[in-house]
Amino acid sequence: MGRVDPSLFSPSYAQGSGQSNRPDPRAFWIVTFAFVLTVTSFGKYEISRLTPLFFYPVAITTLYGVSARSLLRKALFVLPFALFVGLFNPLFDRQALLVVGGYAISGGWVSFFSITMRSLLAVTSAILLVMTTPFDRLCLGLEKMRVPRVLVTQLQFLYRYMFLLRGEALRMVRAHDLRAQGNKPKIALSTAGSMIGLLLLRALDRATRVHRAMLVRGFDGEVRVLQPLGFSWSRDGVFTLAWILFFALVRFVNLPEWLFGWVVGK
Amino acid sequence: MSHHFLDVADLCFAYPDGTEALNGVSFRLEHGEAVGLVGANGAGKSTMLLALAGLVLPSGGTVNVGGTILAKNTVGEIRKRMGFVFQDPEDQLFMPTVFDDVAFGPLNQGLSLPEVSSRVRESLEGVGAAHLSERPTYRLSGGEKRAVAIATVLSMLPDILVMDEPSSGLDPKGRRLLIELLKKFTHTRLVATHDLDLVMEACPRTIVLHEGKVAADGPSREIFENAELLERCHLEPPLCMQGKC
Repeated sequence: MGRVDPSLFSPSYAQGSGQSNRPDPRAFWIVTFAFVLTVTSFGKYEISRLTPLFFYPVAITTLYGVSARSLLRKALFVLPFALFVGLFNPLFDRQALLVVGGYAISGGWVSFFSITMRSLLAVTSAILLVMTTPFDRLCLGLEKMRVPRVLVTQLQFLYRYMFLLRGEALRMVRAHDLRAQGNKPKIALSTAGSMIGLLLLRALDRATRVHRAMLVRGFDGEVRVLQPLGFSWSRDGVFTLAWILFFALVRFVNLPEWLFGWVVGK
Repeated sequence: MSHHFLDVADLCFAYPDGTEALNGVSFRLEHGEAVGLVGANGAGKSTMLLALAGLVLPSGGTVNVGGTILAKNTVGEIRKRMGFVFQDPEDQLFMPTVFDDVAFGPLNQGLSLPEVSSRVRESLEGVGAAHLSERPTYRLSGGEKRAVAIATVLSMLPDILVMDEPSSGLDPKGRRLLIELLKKFTHTRLVATHDLDLVMEACPRTIVLHEGKVAADGPSREIFENAELLERCHLEPPLCMQGKC
């Protein structure tokens, strides 16, 4: 529990000031959704046609000054899950699909690389969404897009109390380590079980207290915030349309082939 | 302004396991009074405060806040009049930024945006935290969290302030600022605490709870000079009366 890289759950640096030049969260939600949809719509053996899509994370990272290093670190954390999903493809799909430099590459390996690429792209876009727009504005964007309020409220509280829960878990692990043997004490499975149970009980207690604090300040099921969002067509509309057009182009035109043909033809 | 009183009569409450936390508690706070609520662990202080805000339903007795009797249908009205500061500010601060958190109450009261903004500004200024307005609440220090937690309640313009252990976890300077703040307020105040020195400084009157009953109610100095009472209720005189400061 305590060994997870804390920066993964750190709030985005995109908090408060310096947000005026960023697109409206609704625009970012739509673009990210369109991006993920495009990425996942490609066939399982597609690799080259996916490559133009890397332009999106590169452009957003450059445009909005996101730390590429931090983005990659976060994306790589999720990579093992993607690798695991495609792990057995090379074993089951052994038919040769490509011949590169005299070596035959099976369909399984191609689909494995394709799955890894697609997961990396999709995960990167989701991380970029959170890194460029403060979480509360993202939630507000969702609310404005008529996502059920109860879901948005849950997201807001999940985000707020993730840090408290992390703090409690870290304190518990520290208390364990101080009374355990060795330099890097391992948590026994039975101990981990009771610690997780305790964490759940503490979380429930905390939830009760927070709910009480909300009730006494007039909470009636709706979280009202004082941050009007302004969707500007010249900024957000253009941002959304331009990216959707680009994604459509990548999806329906084989850009790498066309580019290759153009270069060779020239 | 005579509606800023709090009258508690014969209040009883028992937990589902049968533990009697409150056993016929009665007292009355007049407009503008600052009263300390002290007692050993398990004396019933926290339950008392929860019952005042209607967060637990008493099994007997009445709570009268400025003429409104606490009942299921008046809970909303009571909570408008009573500002409740919780022991752990982490429980109280649940919005993304300080501004949003302080605005939470006034927005729920249905105020207009300019009104909410001015309330937030005034409340934060009142606790010396105006500069924290845009900060995320989880990035504040313990003292800052406490100040903002108080501001979240002040912004609702309550008639009565109820505080649970307001000085816990504060450094000496933070505690000093809190005491000055408490003295400055003109609200009717009920402060439940183990910090008896704070009570001596900020609350002219003290109520001692013991085993769910009021063991004593009177001027703070008189209460803390009564060695037999303090001994019986598992308390000690404040440090300033023990000649330790």
